[in-house]
Amino acid sequence: MTPWMLAETTRRGNAPFSARFESVGVQLPEKHVTTHDLMASTRHHTRIDLEHLTGIREHRMAGPDESSLSLAIGAARDCLARSNYTGADLDMVINASITRYVDGSIHRYEPPLSLSIKEAIGASAATSFDVSNACAGMLTGVFILNDFIRRGAIRRGMVVSGEKITGLGTNAAKDIRSLLSLQLASLTLGDAGAAVIVDRAPPEHAGIVLAGFTTLAEHSRLCVGLPAWHAPGARMFTRARKIHEVAMEDGPPIVEDILAAGGTNLGEIDWLIPHQTSVRAIRSGEKELAKRMGERPKHVVVTVDEYGNTASTTLFLALHRYLTDKKFHPGDKIMLLSVASGLEVGVVVFVMDEWEATHGHTH
Amino acid sequence: MGTRIEAAATSHRRPWRRSGALKLSDHAATACLRRANHGADDLDLLINAGMYKDRGAAEPALASIIQEDIGANPGSPPRIGHHGTFSFDVVDGACGVMQSAQLVDAFVGSGSARLAMIVAADADPSPLTSRNFRFPPVGGAVVISHTSGDAGFHDFRIRTFPQYASLFESRLYWDPSGGIARRGRNVLEIVEAPDYCAQLVECTEEVVRELITGIEIDLLIASQYPRDFAGRLAHRLGLPAESVPHVPRELVGSYTAGPIAALEAAIESGQLARANHALFVTAGAGITVAAALYRS
Repeated sequence: MTPWMLAETTRRGNAPFSARFESVGVQLPEKHVTTHDLMASTRHHTRIDLEHLTGIREHRMAGPDESSLSLAIGAARDCLARSNYTGADLDMVINASITRYVDGSIHRYEPPLSLSIKEAIGASAATSFDVSNACAGMLTGVFILNDFIRRGAIRRGMVVSGEKITGLGTNAAKDIRSLLSLQLASLTLGDAGAAVIVDRAPPEHAGIVLAGFTTLAEHSRLCVGLPAWHAPGARMFTRARKIHEVAMEDGPPIVEDILAAGGTNLGEIDWLIPHQTSVRAIRSGEKELAKRMGERPKHVVVTVDEYGNTASTTLFLALHRYLTDKKFHPGDKIMLLSVASGLEVGVVVFVMDEWEATHGHTH
Repeated sequence: MGTRIEAAATSHRRPWRRSGALKLSDHAATACLRRANHGADDLDLLINAGMYKDRGAAEPALASIIQEDIGANPGSPPRIGHHGTFSFDVVDGACGVMQSAQLVDAFVGSGSARLAMIVAADADPSPLTSRNFRFPPVGGAVVISHTSGDAGFHDFRIRTFPQYASLFESRLYWDPSGGIARRGRNVLEIVEAPDYCAQLVECTEEVVRELITGIEIDLLIASQYPRDFAGRLAHRLGLPAESVPHVPRELVGSYTAGPIAALEAAIESGQLARANHALFVTAGAGITVAAALYRS
């Protein structure tokens, strides 16, 4: 039976190779801002306890000298430092950031940021382009690389993103008056860069066993980000409650469907890494999945309390954090789950190999 | 397995209308599906390669809004057992359509998708404030499906020339003294060097020379911006003037949809059907050149 998602599974058997995550890197701004401080900066007295509502304690905020581009380049370099490869070894570089700041408040449309990133890391010969798929951007890039590597069209590539996105919160703080504000979600955001190298898995390694994506476009207009007309940067208007309802209602059957297509089930997943919007959303998503499927993943990863919602980078920031903390073991089955405005739902399931589990520390 | 073009369609702004990039995309996508004789639900994959969107929206991907507007498995609740549609945007300026074609070729080649559509449209996001926005409001769509024969796209070549990155730049920046009562405003600005077109032709020739060696190219589907790019490139490559399709006046200079405008003209004139070997080539900021050969 065809899964609802556009999917690639090892069960299909029409691809000569499989792909795996080879290394993950991040770049985090030094500056910490607590949710308490952020709420204190709102122009109107709101009485909203955002930390209680979301579980987010603090965020990282990029300084004036940092940009989407510098965060992306920093993450790409960190990723290469943990990798067996140099930039020159990469066949493809995909930038997936929503924000495209290159200097102060200058948002660059063209040339694409991927061009500057690949030059900065010495990947001049790599094919490069940018994708835009909201918070699912990096996972979309992984989905693309997985396809190219499985077919043997390329050997390895990098997906990278730098999000300098807390400016949305700065703009929102001027307008928010109550819980009903469509800009409230802007105050949950944090800045970060992340990068991941995907390469051809050695023959004895399972690597990525399942990758699928779909768009529930009926809800495409629930979260919209666009340039502000009276302030530098942008604004984001989110019907967060509606998005949450849709994700809770439509997400679980899609996830069940794609896992079945890949010959696995939720109970076999050792670690679920979901998109990090709020602790409360993650917990209720976990509950809905368990209700639908009658089983739970062994662990659910939460890092949003510490970093906020870092947009397209959340999954790989969380993966990096847990790799650094040596939480994973070789053989662990890990599921990355993107739910992003569009409404995009993406799933990648992979088996942790020894190299990944050491996070390049034996390199 | 390869990928073949089923249909192409364009849309342009009618006099006295204010159609933005989304409307242009929707119209082109709907017309293209009609020409290809497919329902929107048949699409597995939808990629938007348009660059200049209404109000400069950065989120969500415009492709998802187009998907909703044309009714391609909009999906709630998802009909498990049927197939859905996955959509996202490729952001690569004038080369977006060919970069997307490469991705479609990959997903169709691997069997993940069987039918895909690439949509591209541009319209000035802020006509009262933007500087040097020079692209006509044009949209285009192309439907691509799998083919089991030798026909279709092959030999994709994508190369960048970062030493010329400054020849074409577009950005949004904060002008603190602009806007109402000089309180400041965000401004979209496009900066193009006088020798941009000449350099595009140079770089493109370098990329495609090797690609077409030993092959008689009888059709050139190329970027429509800069306006004389296609003609100058054909001349440099020694291709006859007839190999360049005649694009209608209202589509001349179109940006991301440019190659689709040329493709539509070639389909309507019968040039694509007659061509043994077509060269698809786009060139834009970066400088990026994206090219492929196509067998009818």
